[in-house]
Amino acid sequence: MAAGFASKWSLVGRSLLGGLNNNLSSLLGTSNGITCSHSLSQQQRTFIQMRTVLKVVDNSGAKKVMCIQALKGKKGARLGDTIVASVKEAHPNGKVKKGKVVYGVVVRAAMQRGRCDGSEVKFDDNAVVLVDKQGQPIGTRVFGPVPHELRKKKHVKILTLAGHIA
Amino acid sequence: MRIEKCWFCSSTIYPGHGMQFVRNDAKIFRFCRSKCHKNFKMKRNPRKVKWTKAYRRLHGKDMTQDSTFEFERKRNRPERYDRNLTENTLKAIKTIDKVRSRREAKHIERRKKGKKAQEMREAVKELEQNISLVKAPSVLKEDPSLTLPKIKVKVSHAQVENQPMEE
Repeated sequence: MAAGFASKWSLVGRSLLGGLNNNLSSLLGTSNGITCSHSLSQQQRTFIQMRTVLKVVDNSGAKKVMCIQALKGKKGARLGDTIVASVKEAHPNGKVKKGKVVYGVVVRAAMQRGRCDGSEVKFDDNAVVLVDKQGQPIGTRVFGPVPHELRKKKHVKILTLAGHIA
Repeated sequence: MRIEKCWFCSSTIYPGHGMQFVRNDAKIFRFCRSKCHKNFKMKRNPRKVKWTKAYRRLHGKDMTQDSTFEFERKRNRPERYDRNLTENTLKAIKTIDKVRSRREAKHIERRKKGKKAQEMREAVKELEQNISLVKAPSVLKEDPSLTLPKIKVKVSHAQVENQPMEE
């Protein structure tokens, strides 16, 4: 019941978003509801879209960013995609300040992503690594595990900085 | 390509099946199907869930120590491809699997057989000691035929056991 309430609330929340995502998000909500038969106790994880708050897992200075736009993808960004984000929370002395508009690469997503062998991977949270327009990371360290989907997307630099590759 | 084991039920995960969950401390949990994944999300302990291999091994239902398990250790070093080695390995896998399943079946059979001899001995001892619950000791002293003779013959034991019970 709580999840049903939550899904209703999220649909309402999504309708309050910019008019772009209106029909798409409601469609998305129902289609994802159908795929998981009892969404009573399970949380349905979805794409990273406008207004999604993500954790920043490098040492660029930002702590939390909010997604403004998912480049590529009508419904939203997934694991390995780049997004445009606005910095909402930052360390006091860092390269990136609050309110700045940055690009980021999604390195952890709670929504499962299919692998080429047929299995699926999912992570515990939504995390992002800030990059510049060319795709080079701004920070010098990356924390936590990263998927090796990044190799195909040509984010090799992030893979080299990472501690664990999932 | 690697055949993994499900974290929850310890069954094999073939390529194309199942889900992987990566926790933020970089621990990877692999599940063979959504049943195991959902149980994991419910935070159930596989050692307490009856149908998992972990429970069965812990409670002695399945074989735990055997030399056939040594062959299946995880090796992280890739081997150079050698046709003979591959062929021999494939043949060995088949025979080892057969041996292991035979031994496991025997283990379960032995467990199910029960302990008839031990139960018989326990029953006789209980009868000797607690006959006073059935008949007063004074009655037994008067009529010595009612007491159990201390002869260790199987047949007579069964006969004498029945006597006090019927009375």
